[in-house]
Amino acid sequence: MSLTPVLELSNVSKTYSSRQVLSGLSYSFAAGEYVAIMGDSGVGKSTLLNLIAGLDSPDSGEIRIDGKILPVEDEAATNLRRRHLGFIFQAFHILPHLTLLQNVSLPLLLNRLPLDRAPVMLTAVGLQGREQDFPHQLSGGELQRVAIARALVHRPRLILADEPTGNLDQDTAHEVLQLIRTEIKANQASAIIVTHSRLAAETADKILMLSKHGLTPVPLENQT
Amino acid sequence: MNPVSLTRWLLLGEWCSHRLQSVVAVLAIMLGVALGFTIHLINTAAVSEFSAATRSLSGTSDLTVRAVQSTFDESLYPTLMQHEGVAQASPVLEITAGVPAKAKSMHNPVFKILGLDVFRATAVTPDLLGVPAEDRQMDILASDAVFLSPAAMEWLSVKQGDSIEVSAGAKRITLRVAGGLTRAHAGQRIAVMDIGAAQWHFDQLGQLSRIELKLRQGVDRDTFRATLSKELGASYLLTESEDDDERAHNMSRAYRVNLNILALVALFTGAFLIFSSQVLSTIRRRSQLALLRVLGMTRRQILRQLLLESGMLGVLGSLLGLALGYLLAATALYFFGADLGAGFFPGLEPRLHPDPLAALFYFLLGTGVTLSGSLLPAWEAAHAHPAPALKSGSEYTVLAALRAPRLAAACLLTGVIFAGLPPVDDLPVFGYLAIVLLLIGSMAALPYLCELFFSTLSRALNPNRSSVLYTLAITRLSNASGLAAIALGGVLVSFSLMVAMAIMVASFRISVDDWLARVLPADLYLHPTIHQDMRGFIPDEQQIIASQPGIERIDFIRSIPLTFDPARSNITLLARPIDRNDPGLTLPLTEDRLPPGDIPPDAIPIWVSEAMVDLYGFKTGKRVTLPFADPEQTFIVAGIWRDYGRIFGAIQMQLSDYRRLTGDDHASDAALWVKEGAAIDTVISALQALPFGDTLEIMETGRVRAVALKQFDRSFVITYLLELVAIGVGLMGVAASFSAQTLTRIREFGMLRHIGLSRRQIHRMLTLEGGLLAGFGIITGFLAGTAISLILIFVVNPQSFHWTMQLHMPWTWLLLMALAVLGAAALTAFAASRHAASGNVIRAVREDW
Amino acid sequence: MRYLWILLGWLAVQNMLFSAPPVLAPVVPGKALEFPQDFGAHNDFRIEWWYVTGWLETPTGKPLGFQITFFRTATEIDRDNPSHFAPDQLIIAHVALSDPAIGKLQHDQKIARAGFDLAYARTGNTDVKLDDWIFVRETDGRYRTRIEAEDFTLTFILTPSQPLMLQGENGFSRKGPGAPQASYYYSEPHLQVSGIINRQGEDIPVTGTAWLDREWSSEYLDPNAAGWDWISANLDDGSALMAFQIRGKDDSKIWAYAALRDASGHTRLFTPDQVSFHPIRTWRSARTQAVYPVATRVLTGETEWQITPLMDDQELDSRASAGAVYWEGAVTFTRDGQPAGRGYMELTGYVRPLSM
Repeated sequence: MSLTPVLELSNVSKTYSSRQVLSGLSYSFAAGEYVAIMGDSGVGKSTLLNLIAGLDSPDSGEIRIDGKILPVEDEAATNLRRRHLGFIFQAFHILPHLTLLQNVSLPLLLNRLPLDRAPVMLTAVGLQGREQDFPHQLSGGELQRVAIARALVHRPRLILADEPTGNLDQDTAHEVLQLIRTEIKANQASAIIVTHSRLAAETADKILMLSKHGLTPVPLENQT
Repeated sequence: MNPVSLTRWLLLGEWCSHRLQSVVAVLAIMLGVALGFTIHLINTAAVSEFSAATRSLSGTSDLTVRAVQSTFDESLYPTLMQHEGVAQASPVLEITAGVPAKAKSMHNPVFKILGLDVFRATAVTPDLLGVPAEDRQMDILASDAVFLSPAAMEWLSVKQGDSIEVSAGAKRITLRVAGGLTRAHAGQRIAVMDIGAAQWHFDQLGQLSRIELKLRQGVDRDTFRATLSKELGASYLLTESEDDDERAHNMSRAYRVNLNILALVALFTGAFLIFSSQVLSTIRRRSQLALLRVLGMTRRQILRQLLLESGMLGVLGSLLGLALGYLLAATALYFFGADLGAGFFPGLEPRLHPDPLAALFYFLLGTGVTLSGSLLPAWEAAHAHPAPALKSGSEYTVLAALRAPRLAAACLLTGVIFAGLPPVDDLPVFGYLAIVLLLIGSMAALPYLCELFFSTLSRALNPNRSSVLYTLAITRLSNASGLAAIALGGVLVSFSLMVAMAIMVASFRISVDDWLARVLPADLYLHPTIHQDMRGFIPDEQQIIASQPGIERIDFIRSIPLTFDPARSNITLLARPIDRNDPGLTLPLTEDRLPPGDIPPDAIPIWVSEAMVDLYGFKTGKRVTLPFADPEQTFIVAGIWRDYGRIFGAIQMQLSDYRRLTGDDHASDAALWVKEGAAIDTVISALQALPFGDTLEIMETGRVRAVALKQFDRSFVITYLLELVAIGVGLMGVAASFSAQTLTRIREFGMLRHIGLSRRQIHRMLTLEGGLLAGFGIITGFLAGTAISLILIFVVNPQSFHWTMQLHMPWTWLLLMALAVLGAAALTAFAASRHAASGNVIRAVREDW
Repeated sequence: MRYLWILLGWLAVQNMLFSAPPVLAPVVPGKALEFPQDFGAHNDFRIEWWYVTGWLETPTGKPLGFQITFFRTATEIDRDNPSHFAPDQLIIAHVALSDPAIGKLQHDQKIARAGFDLAYARTGNTDVKLDDWIFVRETDGRYRTRIEAEDFTLTFILTPSQPLMLQGENGFSRKGPGAPQASYYYSEPHLQVSGIINRQGEDIPVTGTAWLDREWSSEYLDPNAAGWDWISANLDDGSALMAFQIRGKDDSKIWAYAALRDASGHTRLFTPDQVSFHPIRTWRSARTQAVYPVATRVLTGETEWQITPLMDDQELDSRASAGAVYWEGAVTFTRDGQPAGRGYMELTGYVRPLSM
């Protein structure tokens, strides 16, 4: 494991229309770690993810990815996000008019990388042979598998997953969570998963609780 | 290759999944470009033909001397020839000759015959010299010889050696085609003959139409012009050949500008449709675009992607539009002629010229309009925050960004101010701008009006008493008025234009009908085959006509063109018996008139048309001199009359005064009252049996009116066509925005289906929504349309055609139109909602709840 | 006998339908010319001309040739046309200046229909006008002319020094073997010229001697004729010589005539067989490719005249406007080898045969 943390939050604050969502949040995420963040509604989980993704910028404090300060300027933030981050959403967000293969290829295209990893990733998430299918032919679990493939296809340093199983039934959720974990480890990526679900959080290496006091580790139930 | 294929995937994906929206956008652009291009092509064809026909015939002349009347005494010729400073003077007699053989197939078949002194013309107008047969050089002087331009030969289907019969008033003349005018302008339908022969055959002895001057070397043209002008006095005019061209250009300008404005309105409507379809498209794809941003697409890439998308639609639409425009122009020219029936370019047979430059212009215009229509939504989409945009329901924030309250107020206010401004250079520029501003302003104000209207409705709603569907529809419209307003824009634009045109045309038509009833009091009207030629009926012929049995009363009318201002078109002087104590019996006078007692004994009364007031400042009671009469003789404007026939101005005076002043005893037309008990048919047959009976055009008053009204209706063919297109485009807009919106609302329908609404109920709810929306669009469209019609009737028409009319509201017609649009909109909404209520909506709920 | 270029073809019989074709008078022998009436125009005849040619001398002693011609021609136009513009009579004028320093002719021409006092040929005495070109005979017999051409202006007084010279049989001049081809013809040789030539704004006073030809006719050339050669000379001893031959299309001599009047007034006429033209040297025009016998030997009876041009290029090419090409130039004469005087020569029909 590398000594440099993959993501470093130092004293990050964010206020939305006079409501302080995050205040003075600091934390270091080690490389290769799979961390789950839990917390009550409205405590700022999504805000934190948006800040990390560069979709929003903190009012104060710094966010470093691989030691580099996350730029505020949109284009630079976009470039960083495109190269180093992967996303998994609750609502899947698979483009409806593209085939599965095309959807998975998107990050490769945007990063001008060779496309040969896209079918590999589809196979890895168990969708081999369905490359030319369209999203509407898939179930929710299958859609999330596509999303996982897309999130990892360009070998990002860090995966951000926002309630990845929120739209899925329990059995499917379990499968998807296992897949996320397997693939993150297989691709040597770090990951932050935001979730309400204790079950989901339990698949992570570490669980953090977000509250107004900051991020506090929670012991895993089945800690070995 | 990577970004290119990404772009292509996204484009194809979008187009394939939203074929209807894409097709509608392409159609809108296509129609806009097609209309603009059609009108441009027709205009160019007509105007190039028209200007070829009226192109200066003055050759290299330095100065042209003409009189305010169409001819003047030839004694001026030797005077000018011997004038110091004049190197060469070429006398010209210009005859408008009729072609009786063509009278059946066309209205007023005339062409120009120039009587020239070939020896004088050589130096001034070398292009107007006839080319005789090799062995018959003397034909250039022969009194029966005429030389025809290629266009005239083609028109008359004759060749060298053939004979042609032409007419002047009640007289017919046979001439021999002795050769061609090889150097005449293309399309110029003219003939040349010896001036002596022309004076003789066309009863114009001693008369000339103009004298072309070549000045001696070293003589300053402006100084000479000033000096000569002073010497010749007010009854002569000096012009240079550029003046002629400008005058010809001015003649058709009002007409051309009006048509071009209509074309621009079509393009404007198209632009608005593109704008609204782009807004809806970006709203619908909001989360997708946000995803692409999250995955790392930059703003610029998104903007480029969206602009490329609409640009491709614009290119396709523009290309189709050009093809359609060409086709339409060809069809319209074939069926209606160059003036589309308006009667501005009589006798022209214009050909369509392929015009690559104009095609490029309209192509760029169409594409540019498309791009600018999508620029705002694309900009908004590229700059939206991706994080919130990923969540559903965020579309409402977009609409807030598109609100422009200040724009609406500014446009409406400026529009009102502009409507009150005078014309610029005789064109109602501000009137048209006021219309455009009114349209933009009312569209910008639409979201507010919409919100106001539907929230009022929704407050007035009693949920316990109203049906649930009605409640849902009203609530939705009230809460999402921004979205509703976008769907409404198309209806507003097209319906307001329809209303405006309907009111304008109805008002005009009723005014014309009333006017015709007043200007045509007699039973019969007759004139020679050719209108307003110089010869008309000579006194002997008048005598013969008047002595026919069965005639109670006959009024002879002399109608001659007068040039008041060389830069403007001729006005018409009409001399006829007028009762000075009750001129209203013969003239359609406005209220603006002198009491008969106020006409001073030393002044001759004249009655002028409204155009004379606007163009030459004639006012009731004003004492004026007329350039054809002695400057000592004063005339007094005794009244203003309405004239829908002559937009360049007309003056009426008593025939007796005219004859006394000019000695001209010819007559151009006659109005006949048939004796009680005498059969009109008998009188007509008696007239037709006269020796010159076959040169007479005899019309019963009823027929004159019918013909005039038919002409009138024909002249609005283009207007009706544009109306149909506008409403078609408007409905397509409704269809597009409804189907787009129903797609964005797919989850909403899914939820409604879940909570127990049947598929049919969703259909009905959407149809109701469509109907309510269209109803509101119709109300606002009616208001805007009425305002536009007021501008057309009271600003644009008086300023460009110099006539006033009364406002008449065609209520039945308006009601029918409103019902038709309402029905069409509801049907459209219904059709668009079919998809929305289909089975997969239930699944859609799972997507994001 | 002079050039008729502009009338060629025009006078070809035209089969138009006229209610009132012009009635033209024939030229008949035995009619005595009457003066001063015959100085004036003869509107009943188809064609008529006043034709002045002569030599001038500038103050520096440089020789110049000049030609001033006025034609009147009656057209075939319907005489019923009451219009003042009816082109019953046309006036045509031509002017040329031969200056060896320039090497070719400077010339100008005008044409107009008679009328409005702008162009006319009056009866009673010589009074012809075409716009600002005039040729008038004063009561004292002197001619006044002023011609404002494009390149020069001529203002001359021509004073007679000898009596009129009636050509042919007392002014009846035959042009061919057939009786109808004839004209009334008189000349005024040895007219003393004084006046001013204005060229490029500069007035040059000149003096010289000129020859006036007057002819009127309704029918002129034999149908087989191709053209003619014509000479006139004011001889140094006060004699006057005029000769012409009409050439056939086969280059044969159809008709010829010569008259020589000595200073005392005695005239000798020569029959067609006694007159012959023999080219010595030809000159080819680069403009028209026509070959003109510019130096010629003329035999009148036993006398041999040798004719040498002032310059070779005195071709008048007006194809661009009037369409005719001929050679009309100043020439010098020797009589049996001795210098005898100066005059003019006209050569027509060398580009293509003239048909009438």
